[in-house]
Order: sequence, then structure tokens, then C-alpha cells
Amino acid sequence: MTALLRRHPLLPLGVLFGAFLLLAPTFTGRGTQNDLWNMAFFVVLAAAWNLLGGFAGQVSLGYSAFVGIGAYTTVLLSKAGWSPWLTLPVGAALAVAFSVAVGLPTFRLRGPYFTIATIGVGEAVRVIASGLEFTGGSSGLRMPAGTFDFLANYYAMVGLALATLVLVAWLTQHAFGLALEAIRQDIDGAEALGVHSTQVKLQAHAISSALVALAGGLFATNFQYISPGSVFDFRLSLTIVLMPIIGGMGTLTGPVLGAMLFSILQIKLLASPALRDSYLFIYGGLLIVVMLFEPRGIMGLLERLWTRLARRQVPAVAESPGAG
Amino acid sequence: MQKLVVVALNSLLAAGLYATMSYGLAVIYGVMRIINLAHAGLMMLAAYATFALNDRFALDPFLSIGIVAPAFFLIGMGLYATLIRWLPRSSAGPSMQSLLLLFGVWLVLQNLAYSIWGGDTQSILTPYTMESIPLLGGRFGVPQILVFLASILSLVGLNLVLRRTFLGKAIRAVTQNRDAAMLSGVNAGQIAAVAFGIGTAFAAMAGSMLSTLYAFTPDFGRSFLLKAFCIIVLGGMESFTGVAVGALVLAFIENFASAYTSIPVSYQDAISFTLLVVVLVAAPGGLPGLWRTFDRRVVAR
Repeated sequence: MTALLRRHPLLPLGVLFGAFLLLAPTFTGRGTQNDLWNMAFFVVLAAAWNLLGGFAGQVSLGYSAFVGIGAYTTVLLSKAGWSPWLTLPVGAALAVAFSVAVGLPTFRLRGPYFTIATIGVGEAVRVIASGLEFTGGSSGLRMPAGTFDFLANYYAMVGLALATLVLVAWLTQHAFGLALEAIRQDIDGAEALGVHSTQVKLQAHAISSALVALAGGLFATNFQYISPGSVFDFRLSLTIVLMPIIGGMGTLTGPVLGAMLFSILQIKLLASPALRDSYLFIYGGLLIVVMLFEPRGIMGLLERLWTRLARRQVPAVAESPGAG
Repeated sequence: MQKLVVVALNSLLAAGLYATMSYGLAVIYGVMRIINLAHAGLMMLAAYATFALNDRFALDPFLSIGIVAPAFFLIGMGLYATLIRWLPRSSAGPSMQSLLLLFGVWLVLQNLAYSIWGGDTQSILTPYTMESIPLLGGRFGVPQILVFLASILSLVGLNLVLRRTFLGKAIRAVTQNRDAAMLSGVNAGQIAAVAFGIGTAFAAMAGSMLSTLYAFTPDFGRSFLLKAFCIIVLGGMESFTGVAVGALVLAFIENFASAYTSIPVSYQDAISFTLLVVVLVAAPGGLPGLWRTFDRRVVAR
């Protein structure tokens, strides 16, 4: 227990927050619950993306494709008479298949080349999805009546968020996490030490895409309406990438902080028209500032603050025996 | 046969524009090993600048290149001095940090355009926008032909600078081997600033030309960025002749695919994305890399 605490000093805080999220519907209003739902949605997206983008360093700008696959599977199968809950695993499975199909060619590319290729894939998916018949084109699709149950959806989303964090924590504590870390630091070195880098990347991509697709399915049930413009949007890919980057890539807590920051930002943005028109200033400005001053994001900033505080305390401890 | 000639001429006209918009990306990549994601935003901003000059002062879009390109050269130098300079240098290849920083710049530029001109689609209408000239059995739009001529002019100019001036030789030297260039007394930092300015100016020229052919919004430019990237990858990333060949190849593939296959026009953009992924995966060295492999095999035999 103490070993676990030493490894994750913020664990009690996390457990408390998880308990708060699960108990929130008993003492908060619907508006707050909506905001919390949105935060949980962001936590899933950010933490899942971080598995491949942060821990393994493979920055993908095409993740909205997986939200879209999950959302469209849920809507289309629900229209065919399925229970929305049963559609979730189907969407996740399709996302995994797509992640492998995309990953097999693109994972041969490294660093920025991979990133550019994912912009291409994301654009191609959006262009094709807008042209296809069954996506409802640009006018979108509506969920069948009677599928809306906010409270169940809320618990599912919060549960998914907590499960994602536990899964990421568990995966990164084991050999798999070390393999991801090795790939990020030096892919040739990792290969030389026996890490099958393409396979590991494909696995991380598959796991994160499944989680994102599950969140996409819940998104569709909660909003009851989707269109290529809402789920295959480049802006969604952008938000997914920015949250973990600004929070701190390759950490467990970073994406959660990023998701909290962005959900608060979004509530503020929606509330004020002046801010809504300048969200790209805020996103772009944050990205520039983080990349110039602290590429490890908020977590890097906190770490610096922590070491500075610790350094200030060390001499005090060293002096005390002499003084006494 | 008739159709073949017309499609080939159309491809050639498109290739001129493609080359101009790719050279900016290639110069910056060559000198700094940075992929300038803000390229799309700069093209978009130049399109709006051209629009504004046309709207306020009724200046012809092609003449306004004379104002827009130097202005963007200075903007590029400014961007380098304020942002790019502070990035840690990576010798191996482009860093994620530089990519994401320039992505941030792109977003800021987009918002700038939104707050000045709003999100509505804009276009520039000149007396010759709808004019066309009959040539070799087909009809070709006057703007397309003017864009082609302007592109050729700018590319000849760039080539003269790169081949005949000390500055150009220094840029090529840094592209080939930064350390060796610095040992020979080239101030690589200064060259990088100038190269970023030139790259930005070429983005601006391409943006001005694009504004005469297409309608644009602040979101404009993403598909052209991907096309430009596809072209420099095809051209082997560092070779300046490679870029011209890459532009021709992409333009021919796009035009012939839409003329001779049943791929709908709305999917035309998907061709370059697919080609980009295929080339990055199958021939990361681009056409020069393919040629070298071929050459080696023949010589070995």
C-alpha cells in the first residue's frame, strides 16, 4: 500500500475525486452533471490518446475518426433496433479493426512524418464520411426515440473514465509500459533490446482507439444527434491532442489535468460569445507557450515547482542537527 | 488524343502552382529540418491580404503579390526571431516540438483571420476571372494561365538566387551539411532566418495565386498543405529539382485520375492524401530515392 502511494502520491486525491464524480448525481443539479459528463468524456479521450501519443511518443492528429466510428456504430445499429448498450462493444471492435488497418502502414513512419500522415488519414476519413450515403451526409443522423437516459449515461461515462485511468496505470506499470517508454526514447535502441516496436505500437493504438470509440458511442446516446461535422471534425482531433500535451504527455495525471482545464475552458467559452470567437487563439497560444517554455506541460511545471520547494527544504533539514 | 493533350496541359498549369507552394515548405525543411505546419495558415492569410488589397484599393491580385510577398518575408523573419529561434535544435530530424509549435502558430493565424474577416467564404472577382483562351482544342482559364506564368517567374527567380548569389549558395550549403557550412564561415542562424522569410514569402505568393482560383475561409489551406507535403516527400525532401518533379507527378496523377477514372471530384483531395501515405510508407526517399535504388541495381549488374 505504501509502495503504491509512493509511486502515485496523488492517488488519494484521485480516489476522492472518483468518489465525488460517482456520488455527484445525488447532490448536484443537472447543469453541473452535464459539465461533469463532459469532463469525464474529455478524460477518456485524453488518457486514451496519451497511451500512444504520450507514453510511446507517437503523436496522432486523427483520433476524431475513432469517436466517429463509435458514434456512427451506435446510431446506425440503434436505428436497426439494437439496444444502444449492445452497440458499444461493436463500435469498439470496428475501431480496433480500423486502428490496425491505419496503423500497419503508418507505423512504419517516425515522429513528425507519422503525425502528418495521420492528418492525411483524418482528412480522408472526413471527406469520405461526408460523401457516403449511410452517414446521413452533412445533415447527420438522429438516435431513435426512447434511447435517452442521462443518469445511466453519466454513470457509464464516469465509469469508463475511471476504468481508462486504472487500465493506463496498470499497463504502464508493466513490461508493456516500459516498451512504450523505450519506443518514445529511442526506437532503434528499443528494437535492439527485443521490443517488437510495430506490434507494441499497434497494441497501444488498438487499446486507445477502443476506449475512444466507447466514449464516442456514449457521446452519440447522450447528444442523440451526430453528423460528420460533429464527430469527424478536425477540431475534435485538436482538442484530443491538446489536452494531454498541455496537461503533460506520458504521465497518468497530466491528461486528467488537461481534460479538467479544457472542460472548464469549454464551459467558459460557451458562456461568453467574445471568448467563443477566440478559442483558437487560446488553443494555439497555449500550444506555443507550452512548446517554448515547458514541453512537459502542467506536470513539468509542477515538477519544477516541487523540486524548487524540496531544494529549499533540504538545507533546513541539514542545518537542524548543527543548530540543535 | 485531343482529351489527352488537354488533360496534360491542365496538369502542367496546376503543377506550376503546386511547385510554388511546395518550395516554401522545402526551403524551410532543408535549412532547419522543420516541417512548417503554419504554411497553410500563411497561405490563407496571404489570400485574405490579397482580398483586402483588391477590396480596398482595387489592386489586381497578381500585382498585389509585389506587396504581399515582401511583407510576408518580413513576417517570416519576425516569426523566426520571436519563436523558431528558441527551439532546441535537433540534428537527427524534425522534432515533435517544432511541429506542434508551428501548429499553434497556424491556429493563431486562423483565429486572426476569423476575427478580422469573419468565417464567411470570400472570393476575388476580377474582369478576367471568367475569361478563357482556346488552346490546342481545349479552353483554359485566364487566371490558371496567369498563375502558371507567375509561378514560373517566381521559381526562375528563386533558382537564380539559389545558384548565383552568395546567400543562395549559403542556403544550399546549410541544407547539405550544416556543420560543414558553419566551419566554412556561414552564419547558420542568419541563413535560417532568411530561409524562413523566403519560405513564408513563397507561402504568401501561393496564397495570393490560390485566391484567384478558389474561394477561401479561415480554414482554407489544409488540403494544400498536405499536397505540398506530398510533393516534397515525392521530391526527396531536400532536392530542389525534386520538388518540381514531385509537383508535376502529383498534378498529373490528380488530373488524369479525375479525367479517366470514375473517382468523384469531391474525392480528388483524397488522392493526394492517399499518395502521401503510400509514398511515405513505400518510398520514404521519394523519387530520387527510388531512382538511386534503381541506379544501384543496374550498376551492380
